Amino acid sequence: MRHLFALLVVALWPALAEAQTDSATLNAAFTGLARLSFSANSITFVDADPDFVPQVSSSPATITISTKARASSGGTVTLSVQASDDLRSGVATIPASHVTWTVSGAGFLGGTLSATAAQTVATWTGSGVRSGTQSFYFRNLWTHPTGTYTLTMLYTLSAA
Amino acid sequence: MRKTVWSGIVAAAAVLCFSAPVFAQAVANGSIGVTVTVSAKAKLTLGAASVTFADADPETVPSLSSGAITIDVKARTTTNGAVTLTVLAGGDLTSGSDTIAITNLTWSVAGSGFVAGANDKTTAQTVGSWTGSGTPSGTHTLALPNNWTYATGSYVATLNYTLTAP
Repeated sequence: MRHLFALLVVALWPALAEAQTDSATLNAAFTGLARLSFSANSITFVDADPDFVPQVSSSPATITISTKARASSGGTVTLSVQASDDLRSGVATIPASHVTWTVSGAGFLGGTLSATAAQTVATWTGSGVRSGTQSFYFRNLWTHPTGTYTLTMLYTLSAA
Repeated sequence: MRKTVWSGIVAAAAVLCFSAPVFAQAVANGSIGVTVTVSAKAKLTLGAASVTFADADPETVPSLSSGAITIDVKARTTTNGAVTLTVLAGGDLTSGSDTIAITNLTWSVAGSGFVAGANDKTTAQTVGSWTGSGTPSGTHTLALPNNWTYATGSYVATLNYTLTAP
């Protein structure tokens, strides 16, 4: 009777016994993720006397930047900014490099805006959620032509 | 058939639990607008608030001179805006009822954009002109002919300078 039962079990679950010795090659792809947000989407520099205010602070005075990035282990996460153009008011221009910034927050770097090359705002290693601030300044010279100048700062957060 | 089903289940479980992630580069973009306002401004600084001509013998000193007086201009204007510095005398040189015509008081200049001239009490005279924003500076030297014909006295006049940056 016992032998009959054992044969019956083997007959019913042969597949289970064989599957435990199988092997499979697994391939999975997870795409990285990056999120970028700002506390404000515009800043302004009001007019000021160059003799008294050679460096005009922006309004708001600081921009908080929040980043979320999923990168490979040891991968580099970089936040950069490039001006869309020089400051422009009709035909009058002021180099974008007249806008500079200081920072607070781990990984953030002070710098000078450029319309020709992306400038690094922050770098980190690996995945994480980080935030910091940028404080902007405009170099206020007597030689600037009058006008209302605009440009757009284009930020790119990349996670490798 | 059963072998195939069980192999699939195990494989799926392994995918969820033990798979090695492979990351592709991720990118996020954002932008911040920047606006800068630059308004017209004008500042004028003269190197002296007053000038005095000491008495002298007309034969040995035929022309009285003030020495060079610095003029510092700071102006913000449009790209091709005209910046002008003018001077208008408040009146003739006057000592009581005696006068010396202010047109006798002339000036010479040094510096780009500055022009020599003679003072006038009715029409502002150009001292300098420039195009666009900037900080030109130079000097001007006042001169008064030392004539025998002047009546004695202490003569006074006021020169009013105006810097314009549209």
